[in-house]
Amino acid sequence: MKTILVVEDDKNQLLLYEQELSLEGYKIITARDGLEAIKKVREQLPDLIVMDITMPKMNGIEAMGKILSEHKKIPIIINTAYSRYKDDFMSWAADAYIVKSSNLKELKDKIKELV
Amino acid sequence: MVSHILKDCGDNVINMLTDALDAGLSVLDKDLTIIWVNKTLPNMLNLHYNPVGRKCREVYACECQDSRHCSVLQALSTGKKTSNEIQLITESGVRKYIRNITTPVRDGGNNIAYLLKVSLDITQQEEKVRRISLLRKFAEVMQGMLQIDRLLHLALTCVTAGSALGFNRARLFLVDKEQNVIYGKMAVGPSSLEEANKIWSEIAHKNENLDDLIDASEKTRHYDTPLHKTTRLMAFSLTDEKEIIVSCVKTKKMILERNAFSNDQIDKKFVNAVGVNEFICVPLVVEGDAIGAICADNAYNRKPITEEQVELLSIFASRVALAFANAETYRKLWEKNQQLKETRERLIRSERLAVIGNMAAYIAHEIRNPLVTIGGFARILMREYADHKKVKQHTEIITEEVNRLEKILANIMDFSKPIETLKTSIQINELLENTCCLMGPYLKSAHIQVSKKFDPSIPKIIVDQTQMKQVFLNLIKNAAESMTQGGKLTVESMTEDEYIKIDFTDTGEGMTPEILQNLFTPFFTTKVDGTGVGLAVSQKIIDDHNGFIKIKSVPKEGTTFSISLPIKNVTA
Repeated sequence: MKTILVVEDDKNQLLLYEQELSLEGYKIITARDGLEAIKKVREQLPDLIVMDITMPKMNGIEAMGKILSEHKKIPIIINTAYSRYKDDFMSWAADAYIVKSSNLKELKDKIKELV
Repeated sequence: MVSHILKDCGDNVINMLTDALDAGLSVLDKDLTIIWVNKTLPNMLNLHYNPVGRKCREVYACECQDSRHCSVLQALSTGKKTSNEIQLITESGVRKYIRNITTPVRDGGNNIAYLLKVSLDITQQEEKVRRISLLRKFAEVMQGMLQIDRLLHLALTCVTAGSALGFNRARLFLVDKEQNVIYGKMAVGPSSLEEANKIWSEIAHKNENLDDLIDASEKTRHYDTPLHKTTRLMAFSLTDEKEIIVSCVKTKKMILERNAFSNDQIDKKFVNAVGVNEFICVPLVVEGDAIGAICADNAYNRKPITEEQVELLSIFASRVALAFANAETYRKLWEKNQQLKETRERLIRSERLAVIGNMAAYIAHEIRNPLVTIGGFARILMREYADHKKVKQHTEIITEEVNRLEKILANIMDFSKPIETLKTSIQINELLENTCCLMGPYLKSAHIQVSKKFDPSIPKIIVDQTQMKQVFLNLIKNAAESMTQGGKLTVESMTEDEYIKIDFTDTGEGMTPEILQNLFTPFFTTKVDGTGVGLAVSQKIIDDHNGFIKIKSVPKEGTTFSISLPIKNVTA
């Protein structure tokens, strides 16, 4: 079973992703900010990371940079309410950029493709 | 001596003497009936009949009805020599100024038996005085006149007015330094001899004063007379120094040409255009620079241009030039002020857009996150209760509404997104074609017929294609939405001055002035499911391209959106 790390500061949204993605047959681990995400990656080394950008303590882009410097191969999907980070070249390091939607189809498809 | 001659020649000599005088003489009896005149008087008054036996007032046809100003009545009542000045219109329609000196002649009983009236024609002096005073007043009015066209027209009116400079026709030419030409700007005067005669017979009875002339100038200013038209077609290269008008502005000297057709020192293009043998050109000099010239002639009455006219015109021209400089300075100042105003308005608008944009972005994102959760869980419920009809139906509604909200947010976020531009050179027609094609199926389904009128000669310009396409899409969509019953959409491209103009014309509902006023205000919308950002975005994009949008709308008939994009984009 593939492990997916979902990084999201919104408690309820996190619950949504946990439920939906478990149903797709993944093992879900979660983190509530960038720092926690780095810690989780070191402990459990997931197969894929779904990363929010605006979060307390450390934002998603910074966390992504740190994670990629340690584990170059982990696919990362940026999942954010903002479309403007698309133009931020730091975000280009991610394997996909998804603007959040209540319809999770796009996210699920991208995960299937990258795992 | 006199008695000696009298003895020799009899009464004849008295007639000879009096007829030789420049003054008109008449003798009246106590009833003011004329009993004798010399020959000068009927000539002076242009009489076609013998005045003897007629009443004084009848013959003089004088305008002074007031007895206090009548020298004859005064002389009669005071018994003293009295003089006065009158003006009258002669039978042939000429205005004359006459000074009358009346001396009572007493009989043996020291009663007044006759009145001896001496009449002097002072028309010339009087007219000169009036002319100068009128010109002076004119110059004063002109100094305060700030609209150049009004000013110049008034000046020409003055040059042609009988009571001022009295030329038949006046034309004004201006120098265009960029094009290196001098061109006809305007003209005042009759276009034919018939018209001239008509005007003269009208003005002979009127003593034009300043207000009359200003009035006349204002009234005729907008008439496109034949003379005015032909003058506007005239243009001469400033390198043709053998053309009189050119050498006039080049040398900054007045040129009086009395024999233009046979003068072999000059080129004839200008002469032929003016069409008369005798005319005068006076330069308008401002700060040592000739900005143009006035050309005047007597094309109709063919009177030689008098010394006085020359002198007055040269003085007058310098005043015109001064007033012109004044008005020009004012115009420049006004333009600068206008530019400043526009820049300020633009700044305020973009500032406002930025503030609204930032606020919208913040709110949109704050709302989007909870929406994801709401919609996401609604979907889970919908799935889990797929066989529970009511729950399924209600969760479906929640999902749909969330979808709608998300769509609106996407629109707003597009608006608030800072626009990164990528400008490339492109033929606008292609982009229009492309957009129309893209909208084709949608327009067809809305029963809208598209008419494309693209001018293939429009040059390529530098724009951000994606953004421009967004604008076209917005405008086409707007047009389509205003034609709920179907209709016709005309998309037209053309070159207009320094701009490429694109018109989108629909046959839809049209808009009221209130709607028009708010059209570009962000979040203003008249549509049930509109977000009110489409036109605001379009405006911002066109602003960024240094272009502008104009709208013409007639309720119930339709609307035209016109986009103008500069051909030379300064910020490219």
